[in-house]
Amino acid sequence: MGADIDAAADIVAADTTDRQLVVTRVIDAPRPLVFRAWIEPDHVARWWGPQGFTTTFCDMDIRPGGKFRFCMRSPEGTDHWKRGIYREIIAPERIVFTFAWEDAAGNPGHELLTTVTFAEQGTRTKLTLHQAIFQTVEACNDHHRGWTSCMERFAEYMTPAQARKA
Amino acid sequence: MSSDRLNRTFAALADPTRRAILARLLSGEASVTELAEPFAMSLPGISKHLKVLERAGLIVRGREAQWRPCRLEPRPLKDAADWLEHYRRFWEASFDRLEAYLKDLQGKGKQRGRRH
Repeated sequence: MGADIDAAADIVAADTTDRQLVVTRVIDAPRPLVFRAWIEPDHVARWWGPQGFTTTFCDMDIRPGGKFRFCMRSPEGTDHWKRGIYREIIAPERIVFTFAWEDAAGNPGHELLTTVTFAEQGTRTKLTLHQAIFQTVEACNDHHRGWTSCMERFAEYMTPAQARKA
Repeated sequence: MSSDRLNRTFAALADPTRRAILARLLSGEASVTELAEPFAMSLPGISKHLKVLERAGLIVRGREAQWRPCRLEPRPLKDAADWLEHYRRFWEASFDRLEAYLKDLQGKGKQRGRRH
């Protein structure tokens, strides 16, 4: 119970206005190459997933609105499928996509909006990955500052209702 | 952990008032009146937030009709934290490989040889 309370405190008390998972890494490679490593299937299959995992299926439709679906095989031979939709592809600066793991029945789990930015640092590239955890319309309203992708989702959410009216 | 449950947890956490309520409950159970105190909010307003938290399984409320103390239920929060940690590890591990892969790729281009 003590550990549970600590974990609970951690997730509640982290005083962030945009609750996001952020992972950064400076990579010793020029930005155009790092960007290509994210959008070309031959490259992606070489690094996506933890050490020892292999990419056995990789389908990427690299354009806004395009879908992707990967299969990662663990060293024990278990397949893990994941899928998503590209929201923005701005070479060589930014990629925004939704991302969810599939369960055994092929149903996607909780979807995260993921933004990867590529910043030039001399001959190196700083990679910053944000995963927005809150994707409700309410969250979009709460965190409207600069969160354009979220607003796009909001717009998408609104569109069917307006289409019905029209 | 089911997607629905995670969605409910995160939707409940998306609101700053609800996070503040949970933060207050970390230090022990409290009544609705006590929870409403720090906020410029009516009791029905607070009750609405409590209902969201209750539906998400983040709090449980006592049975007594008059004073129904709210208590934090840490399990879903722990699960959400674990789930996020899983993602963090996934990305960190992938970035390790990306870094090694690009190093290897550039090494091969420049000097025709494997790094390791």
